[in-house]
Amino acid sequence: MHRIYLHPLPVRIWHWINAATCVMLLLTGLQLRYLGLISVMPFGTAVAIHNWTGFILIANFFLWLGYYLCSDRIRVYHAESSPKEYFLGSLRQALFYGFGIFKGAPNPFRPSIYRKFNPLQAMTYQLIMIVLLPIQAATGILLWDLVGFVGTVAFFGGVRVIDTVHVLIFIFFVFYIPAHIYLGTLGRTPTLHFKEMVTGYEEEEDEDDSADEAEKRLGPGPAE
Amino acid sequence: MGRRFAMGAIGAAAATVLAFAGMTAPASAAGPPTADQQCLACHGMPGLEKPLTGGGTLSLHIPGDTFAQSVHSLIGCTGCHADVNLASHPAAVEPIASKRNFSLAMVQICRTCHTVEFEQWGQSIHAALVREGDPTAPICTSCHLPHAVTRGASESLDAVPCRMCHAAVFNAYAVSVHGVLRRGGLAEAPLCFNCHGAHDVSVASAGVGRRDVCLGCHTEAAASHRAWLPNVDLHFGVVECPVCHVPQAPRTVDLILYDSTTQKEVSGPVGMPKFEGLTGSTTATQPGLDPTTLLLLLKVTNRPGIEGKTSVRGRLELTQGVDNHALTFAFKAIRECNTCHREGSAAFQSVTVSVAGPTGIPIRYGVNKDVLNSAFSVDAIGGFYAIGGTRVTLLDMLLALALVGGVAWPLAHLTMRWVFKRYLNRTPHEQPKG
Repeated sequence: MHRIYLHPLPVRIWHWINAATCVMLLLTGLQLRYLGLISVMPFGTAVAIHNWTGFILIANFFLWLGYYLCSDRIRVYHAESSPKEYFLGSLRQALFYGFGIFKGAPNPFRPSIYRKFNPLQAMTYQLIMIVLLPIQAATGILLWDLVGFVGTVAFFGGVRVIDTVHVLIFIFFVFYIPAHIYLGTLGRTPTLHFKEMVTGYEEEEDEDDSADEAEKRLGPGPAE
Repeated sequence: MGRRFAMGAIGAAAATVLAFAGMTAPASAAGPPTADQQCLACHGMPGLEKPLTGGGTLSLHIPGDTFAQSVHSLIGCTGCHADVNLASHPAAVEPIASKRNFSLAMVQICRTCHTVEFEQWGQSIHAALVREGDPTAPICTSCHLPHAVTRGASESLDAVPCRMCHAAVFNAYAVSVHGVLRRGGLAEAPLCFNCHGAHDVSVASAGVGRRDVCLGCHTEAAASHRAWLPNVDLHFGVVECPVCHVPQAPRTVDLILYDSTTQKEVSGPVGMPKFEGLTGSTTATQPGLDPTTLLLLLKVTNRPGIEGKTSVRGRLELTQGVDNHALTFAFKAIRECNTCHREGSAAFQSVTVSVAGPTGIPIRYGVNKDVLNSAFSVDAIGGFYAIGGTRVTLLDMLLALALVGGVAWPLAHLTMRWVFKRYLNRTPHEQPKG
């Protein structure tokens, strides 16, 4: 076993603030959209919490962006230069989650400081952090002050277009967050990845041990 | 024939009386001037009337006492009726087709002195209706009885002339917070003309007129609403004040077609000659434009080659114009967000699409209420959305799928792991036979 310092402190702070604000935004978003069906808090309170939480999320996004722009760890978000390698890596990871994991096969991806996301994670996180979150923040700001941004709102087709984009991304996160939490339990122990996001260190089995173990259980991996 | 004879006899008698009165009647400070007394000698007689060529009669009776108390007594009869030649009157009077024609001709005299008011009236909805040929549209003499007009009479709650035509509106106003306070002696409480203008009467529902009228007096309204209402400016722009301040009245979402360039309501969808035909389309359960037709209509209206872009701006307002006058006390107004921001809200059960009519009064066409929840409306009515109340049904379905899927697949995956783990951990004698 060896330990890798995979999650620096700024990343961990960003991650947990991001998690808390995302959950709060989802809950207050549900309250706003389904008032009558859900009555946890008054509408006005939900609006206020949703707005403030949204601004915290945006500020937190810039913490994330600032850290990675000023750090060489930004390489964890670099796209795989070889499409073939990327495709094969994704296929290997998908087969692991969809097949190998049931038979006790080892995770085909072994993280390192500059390559801590498996290909599926990398694709998902790039999509979220570079596309979905900025769009969600932008549409949220427009919806926050429709009168102040009336020209921009009209340019994009009106409040319904803005709201529909906001809700579609909201729907994506409603699907994504339970899946993200569940995938976090797929470490060697169910709580391992959560502890790693607190301590910053990831414990890795030595490569030889792991390969031997895999050989014993499954033979060669599906894409190897 | 008999009536003409009667007029002739009266005329002869009047001429005699006029001559006699002119010689003998002294000028009196308390009564009408001598010249007016000459006129009133005949016109003060009840029952004096003139047959109209179009049928009916025109009363020529002017109550002397009433006229003496009117502000117009200062200018006397000839102030307005300078065309009357006493030497030949009444024998040489022109025939008159109808009261309306006579009034329309006579009001031109009003502008001689009341130039500003007449110009204001010319810009009003009343004048627009006159130009449209509406025989009931009010002119000067409809509101101001010219021989009985007194200073400030129109400002009295009981004598305000608007109630003659707008009785239902006045009755609603009379029991409103404004009417009650006015009746109670609060001079600042508005009467009709405070909101609608005295002569430049405008269409209250046009543009954002109604909101600005309210804010004209209630200057603190924005600040007081900001203390508890999110997005005050948005609410003030989209929700008309009476929607919350007349709590029991039925509401309608009016989808106003306007020109994106000029930001003014369009008088009709440009390049869409069959607009009225389309608006008449119906479904089995909901009358009016359905979501698809509305979308197509706007697509056709904005097709390439058509100048200007027609967009839709939604506004929540009261269904009946009369109800706008039944404003209640502020503490009784709606403050609960869930009145509108929830599924099935009564506020969104009625929908119209409107264009500006030739007189400025909006022309409304029925729209199927499903248009507010249709995915087609994301494009068609991008300018109106109330979170929770007009949400798109398709997105609700997608959310339900995401919620179920987001929870179901981890559970399914977890179950599979548990099943496989149990199967793999079995010793050979535990394996099922066969």
